[in-house]
Amino acid sequence: MIDFSSPRHRSKFGYLLLAPAVLLMALIIIYPILLSVDISMKDVRIARIGKAEPWTLKNYAWLFGSEEFWNAIWVTAKMVLMVGGTALVIGLATAILVNQRFKGRSLARLFVALPWAVPEVVATVIWAWMLDSSFGVINWALLKSGIISEGIQFASNATASFYSVCFVMIWKGYPLVSIMLLAGLQSIPQEQYQAAEVDGAGVWQRFFYITIPNLMPVIGVTMVITTLWVFRDFAIIHVLTQGGPIGATTTLSILTFEQSFSFFRMGQGAAVGVVTMIICAVISRALVSRFANSVH
Amino acid sequence: MKRFTKTLAVTALSLSTALTAMPAAAETLTFVSWMKGEPGYGDWWNEVIAKFEAEHEGVNVEMTKVARAEYADTMFTMFAGGNPPDIVHLAAFEYQPFADEGWMEPLDAYIARDGKDLAGWAGQGTCEWEGQTACIMLLYTAYVMAYNEKLLAEAGITEPPSDWASYLAAAQAATKDTDGDGTIDQYGVGVASTGGANMMHDILHYVLDAGGAWTVDGKPAFDSPGVIEGLERFKTLYAEGLTPRDLGAGDMRQLMKEGRLAIRLDGPWIWNIVQGAEPEILADLKLAPSPFDPPVGGTSNVIGMPSDISDERKELVWDFIQTATSQEMQQRFATLGSSPAPMPGLDYAAEAASNPYFTLFAESNERAAAAGVDRLPKGLEIEFNEVTKLLFREAQRMLIEDLSAEEAAKNIQDAVLKIAG
Repeated sequence: MIDFSSPRHRSKFGYLLLAPAVLLMALIIIYPILLSVDISMKDVRIARIGKAEPWTLKNYAWLFGSEEFWNAIWVTAKMVLMVGGTALVIGLATAILVNQRFKGRSLARLFVALPWAVPEVVATVIWAWMLDSSFGVINWALLKSGIISEGIQFASNATASFYSVCFVMIWKGYPLVSIMLLAGLQSIPQEQYQAAEVDGAGVWQRFFYITIPNLMPVIGVTMVITTLWVFRDFAIIHVLTQGGPIGATTTLSILTFEQSFSFFRMGQGAAVGVVTMIICAVISRALVSRFANSVH
Repeated sequence: MKRFTKTLAVTALSLSTALTAMPAAAETLTFVSWMKGEPGYGDWWNEVIAKFEAEHEGVNVEMTKVARAEYADTMFTMFAGGNPPDIVHLAAFEYQPFADEGWMEPLDAYIARDGKDLAGWAGQGTCEWEGQTACIMLLYTAYVMAYNEKLLAEAGITEPPSDWASYLAAAQAATKDTDGDGTIDQYGVGVASTGGANMMHDILHYVLDAGGAWTVDGKPAFDSPGVIEGLERFKTLYAEGLTPRDLGAGDMRQLMKEGRLAIRLDGPWIWNIVQGAEPEILADLKLAPSPFDPPVGGTSNVIGMPSDISDERKELVWDFIQTATSQEMQQRFATLGSSPAPMPGLDYAAEAASNPYFTLFAESNERAAAAGVDRLPKGLEIEFNEVTKLLFREAQRMLIEDLSAEEAAKNIQDAVLKIAG
């Protein structure tokens, strides 16, 4: 019998207690990743677990030589910058707004958070109806108000499609940014503002030298979450444009789905997924390091 | 305490006796279909299930609906996960990858054992995969033209279109802004433009009429003159705003029901679908032969069984297939589905008497079949989903970048050759 109370074996007891959780995590997280890597190394249309297939780099050769893949990288990068940047600006603005004391603040906070609370597919279907090129209310309102003279083809105009997808993603994503930044704002010691005011600092100086530096860790985490969300989001794009027109909204997640479940080239789909995962890991690591360093 | 123990013992005994006396648990066959709840075909499936269950005591068929848009993905996931439905219902253009994976049980042994006669069975040739019978065809049909007589009359069109020129003229005349708000709210024709098989079939009308075909002798022919002409016609309708943009086939049918679409080329199912229109609109909805020659037609959907189930279940599934393809149920198919059944030699006198368009459906089928038309491009069965996606992408590129039909056709051909090898 091992005496776990002895100093020599105490750490073993800790490992023993951790073991079930670690095993469970391995099963839930690591196994699917390994499975994806395994499928991506096989020249298969339909992946079947347990079926032995020789490994090959054919899918990766296809990937790096494929116009669709580089287009998806470009579209994803544009979308991350557009959605992440705009959601951060709107999220910060609304967080600062609802952090002020005014009548009806609770209601304002509720409205800011509302898009986040609506299920993604439900919200997207509603937006798809509103953005319908022929019968949508948005085109109708724009035409009625005289802003446009001809209906915008949201699903068959590459630029309009891209921005309509970005708009819905920002609408859906900014509340999370706002909520997180609001929590960050509330944790900034008021003494810092009071001291700055005594020293004659103006509103913008207080914003740039107190608010932003104090918010940096929260902004870092929020940007990581938003970036990963844009990378992996599928429902909004699939419902609105299905990646079209002519690939204008085909992100890496859409390409993964398309290869795996529309064309049933699961080897190629898994290769896109594995590369996406690596890109996400690198970006997350870089963002976390960058913002963590800025705190110190 | 003694009394409590006694009560408990009696209860346990009663319960065990009751459970023993119950019949063995009913066997359930799973069946996934996009047709559940559809007027016509959905009703037919309900009758097939009821007849099968009546003939097989203790066996239930559990039918589940999966939307058409997600159907192939769902079925692939079920098969790949080792949990296929017992009764396999697939579109005729999508069963091939399943058969290619060895997931479909060849039916030849069952057909031979029971002496099932499939001679003359419409479209059955499409069910042959690598020399074996992978399925049984449930529908071979041709497209007809649904039109709103009132909308055409108001546009000065007194006769339904009978060729491309009159079709285009009718579309131009019937496309209107009826309430004067500056927005077109009534369209001449409904051509699906959201991608997928329906869009490809809709463009095929113009391709076939122009003497083209997607493939010739199993080889891609997307840059042939007929396809170029077909794409040109599609571009004309779209560029002139004669069809609603970015809508699928289902949306077009809905517009037809609402009286906001003058012409829609569709399968005979359109007749059942428009029956849901308001009475005053329904009175104006008529059918006529497709103005294009030959009409689009072809195989529609198939029934089969998975190879991954027990022999006992396979026997039950075969019985179900036998029920669905029996003379009695094929006759009911024609009645409820308002279209000729694939079984040859049926008497359609009653259907023709009760359905004013039944003869039209039968004649359209004959026209399409005589021309050897099939919506499924031969030789590209496995790559069909990719081909539809490519065609959609390049058709969109043609419209967005204002490419010529020749350029679009070349782009499609190059892309198809790249994936088809």
